[in-house]
Amino acid sequence: MENILQISHLNKSYNGIPALKNVNLSVRAGEIHGLVGANGSGKTTLMNILFGQPVIHETGGYQGEIAFAGRRIEFKNCSQAISCGIGMVHQEFALIPDLTVAENIKLGREHTLAFTDRLLGRQFSYIDNRHDRASSLQALRKLGIELDPDIKIMDLSINLKQFVEIAREIDRTDLRLLILDEPTAVLSQDNSWMLLEILREMSGRGIGILFISHRLEEIQAVCDRVSVLRDGELVARYEKNHIHINQLARDMIGHSVIKAAAGKRKIEARPLITFRKFSVAMPGEEIKNLDLNVYEGEIIGLTSLPGHGKLALGYGMMGLYPVAGEVWFNNERIVRMDAMDNIVKGIYALPDDRQGLGILADQSLENNIVFTANQAKNMFSRSSLFPFLSMLDHRRTVPHVEKMVQDFDIKCASFKQKVRELSGGNQQKVCIARALTAEPRLLFVAEPTRGVDISAREKILSMLIEINRTRNMTIVFASSELDELQRVCDRIAVMVQGKIFKILSPDSPEVDFALALSGETGMDDDV
Amino acid sequence: MKAKAPLNCYFNHERIVPAVFLVLSFLAWQISGLTGSFVLNQVITRFIRDGLLVLALIIPVVAGMGLNFSITVGAMAIQTSLLLVIAYNIEGVPGILLVMVIGIFLSVLLGYVLGRILNRVKGKEMITTIIIGFFVNSIYQLIFLVGFGTVIPVFNQEIILTRGIGVRNTVDLGMYRNTIDKLWLFSIGEIQIPLFMILIVLLFAGGIYYILHTRFGRQVQAVGSAAETCAVLGIDTDRVRIKVMILSTVLAALGQFIYLQNIGMFDVYTAHLNTGIISCAALLAGGASIKSAKVRQALLGIFLFHTLFIVSPQAGQHLFRNAALGEYFRSFVAYGTIALALIVNVGNENRPIQRK
Ligand SMILES: Nc1ncnc2c1ncn2[C@@H]1O[C@H](COP(=O)(O)OP(=O)(O)OP(=O)(O)O)[C@@H](O)[C@H]1O
Ligand SMILES: [Mg+2]
Repeated sequence: MENILQISHLNKSYNGIPALKNVNLSVRAGEIHGLVGANGSGKTTLMNILFGQPVIHETGGYQGEIAFAGRRIEFKNCSQAISCGIGMVHQEFALIPDLTVAENIKLGREHTLAFTDRLLGRQFSYIDNRHDRASSLQALRKLGIELDPDIKIMDLSINLKQFVEIAREIDRTDLRLLILDEPTAVLSQDNSWMLLEILREMSGRGIGILFISHRLEEIQAVCDRVSVLRDGELVARYEKNHIHINQLARDMIGHSVIKAAAGKRKIEARPLITFRKFSVAMPGEEIKNLDLNVYEGEIIGLTSLPGHGKLALGYGMMGLYPVAGEVWFNNERIVRMDAMDNIVKGIYALPDDRQGLGILADQSLENNIVFTANQAKNMFSRSSLFPFLSMLDHRRTVPHVEKMVQDFDIKCASFKQKVRELSGGNQQKVCIARALTAEPRLLFVAEPTRGVDISAREKILSMLIEINRTRNMTIVFASSELDELQRVCDRIAVMVQGKIFKILSPDSPEVDFALALSGETGMDDDV
Repeated sequence: MKAKAPLNCYFNHERIVPAVFLVLSFLAWQISGLTGSFVLNQVITRFIRDGLLVLALIIPVVAGMGLNFSITVGAMAIQTSLLLVIAYNIEGVPGILLVMVIGIFLSVLLGYVLGRILNRVKGKEMITTIIIGFFVNSIYQLIFLVGFGTVIPVFNQEIILTRGIGVRNTVDLGMYRNTIDKLWLFSIGEIQIPLFMILIVLLFAGGIYYILHTRFGRQVQAVGSAAETCAVLGIDTDRVRIKVMILSTVLAALGQFIYLQNIGMFDVYTAHLNTGIISCAALLAGGASIKSAKVRQALLGIFLFHTLFIVSPQAGQHLFRNAALGEYFRSFVAYGTIALALIVNVGNENRPIQRK
């Protein structure tokens, strides 16, 4: 098979700090080529170069040669890449918030009424909405999801956005090379496997595929070849049948990972927070009449299929969507959901939408980590007399930030670097660091390991366990990664259609979880 | 699993502002003591005069550029072309066509320049268009105060001041009057309906609606919602914005032409000064905001705003028994609408659920 893509001697640096060093890589037509590497190793940078992203130009371009379908290319902008038949599923999504699902999927490829097309040309032909809705539904169905095509993107949860982002690309018929930057980071296992099936089918049609993932099992299952990036250098390449997960992990991070695991224990404490008939009106992720007790000092897992409400609890506690029902925290009824009030009371909810809600993109790493703690509790102000007027006390912030950067292995040029410039996984780590800095009594986390590499994932999990044990921080941990929940949680609540369907102990057998997730009662009694 | 779109709240600005206008205009009409047919005739006239000018504002709003106060620039373009044609004594239909051609040519050019400028001040378009409007106005005045009769030869002595340099304050458009206004004119009782002109306005309204539902329109919407993301999706944001400004300026020019020929004469130095404010107020009165605007809001807005605009001076006079208050009430209504709409907009942006 011929090479559809040939990259040779590619170098790229940001402000003098190298991100890619002498990278050589090729993708054959009809091949699925995996790309793995720790957070900040340069994967997204490489994809951005291939796709002609403006950020590459703005930061001084790159050196090296790229050939696509035998022709040397140097894209000035993304539309050149798109018209060559290159598609990209972006790590941080490229969706237009005010347009609907169907409009986003079909953007630039809308069906139009044929006679206006002839009459007025491509740009000014009338869009056939019905046709567009139908074909976007079809693309979404291939991914195993039913979604109202008329919802605006801004009303969707992160994992639904991920589906739309993928559907936009698989709906294209002119693709020759498809780049996927961590498309499965927020998908459930079932949906991920469906996507992998589609990728196989696409590669069968001769489309070259570059696939980035931190889930090495997926890489092993689907890739024809895999390349490993470490600190911007290509350090290894394996052919199918020679891909071993442990080997990959060692190549990526230079040591093997120790899996975090909490010891088993029985929590017998009073409820710290109680939900009664609690509802959250989050589109596509509603909670309806949920009843739940969370005991002081426990880590409780929340899981569900996408769209069944596991993510909405945290959003509801931040007051981002209308809520109904009763919430009792520490024997006190919470009447109004207000993020700031709740933080002051000791409740912090870390959303899964890091781009929209989690980070202050244009602020420094340092400010991001101490922001909440300082706003709510003045933990880092210079004067406690006039906290609102006083500046940050760098003598206290710097050591703390240093510790966080070390604990989580956040890859950055300096503490003053804007968070926008960090890699996706490192932004995620910043969010976690900020939540832990605020030292809440009750922490809601949603998909905390989204997009972080295998080593950082374990660090985050063991940090959650440690802080729970030493500071007695109660944690509500929403995730679609059952394996993580099983290792960390004391109890796991399975949600179906916005209600708690069943609460299982973490060492219950797989089948029980599978049955509960799909809403069928198994043999076991509730815990 | 099935996800549903959220129910739209009934009490949003899209409904509140028009409702307030409806109530206010009704009350003011009752107080003013004007007959219904008089008011209706006036409103129909204003609908024709201001229609295109208000429609010209829609696309820039959708493109995320806010209210385009520089439609005054388009107005000045057509006035320039009008004065040139009159200066050469070209009358009748050929004259009208020539005015259009030159006016469109000028406004395409100016729209392009405006687009280029606005691409450098993203996020501050509204204030920039206001200032550019003032600036172009001073150039315009310079041209007609000292340029005419000196640099530009004039063959029509009627429009020149007696000293031979500069254009008179008021220029008569008698030679174009009643050419298109009276086409298909008929009356129902006391109400006169110039069907042809109404159709023209509706035709342009349909045109804008059409454009917003084409591929180009979709791009405009996308640029208005998330310009940075558009670049990644292969949409050239800057070019879209330039096209939007050209379209808006050309529409404004045509609109001002309809406006002037309908009045039948024009104040060379002041006719364009209030177009920006009044048109924007009318659009907002229909429930549009600086972030979103629809064709039906523009059409509704013209009716509501102008009804209030027509009856409020009389109402003010009756209430306070003071004739001087009439004009005051007009500007109160115009600026009040804009201020109200801006406040309602900002309030909406602060709603937590509408996040970027
Ligand atoms: N716009 C930018 N300005 C400065 N530095 C940047 C910028 N974008 C990325 N970097 C740096 O380049 C390096 C590589 O980042 P990249 O986003 O390619 O990592 P990645 O492999 O995609 O990581 P992840 O798995 O976390 O997504 C990081 O150290 C990052 O801080
Ligand atoms: Mg990345």
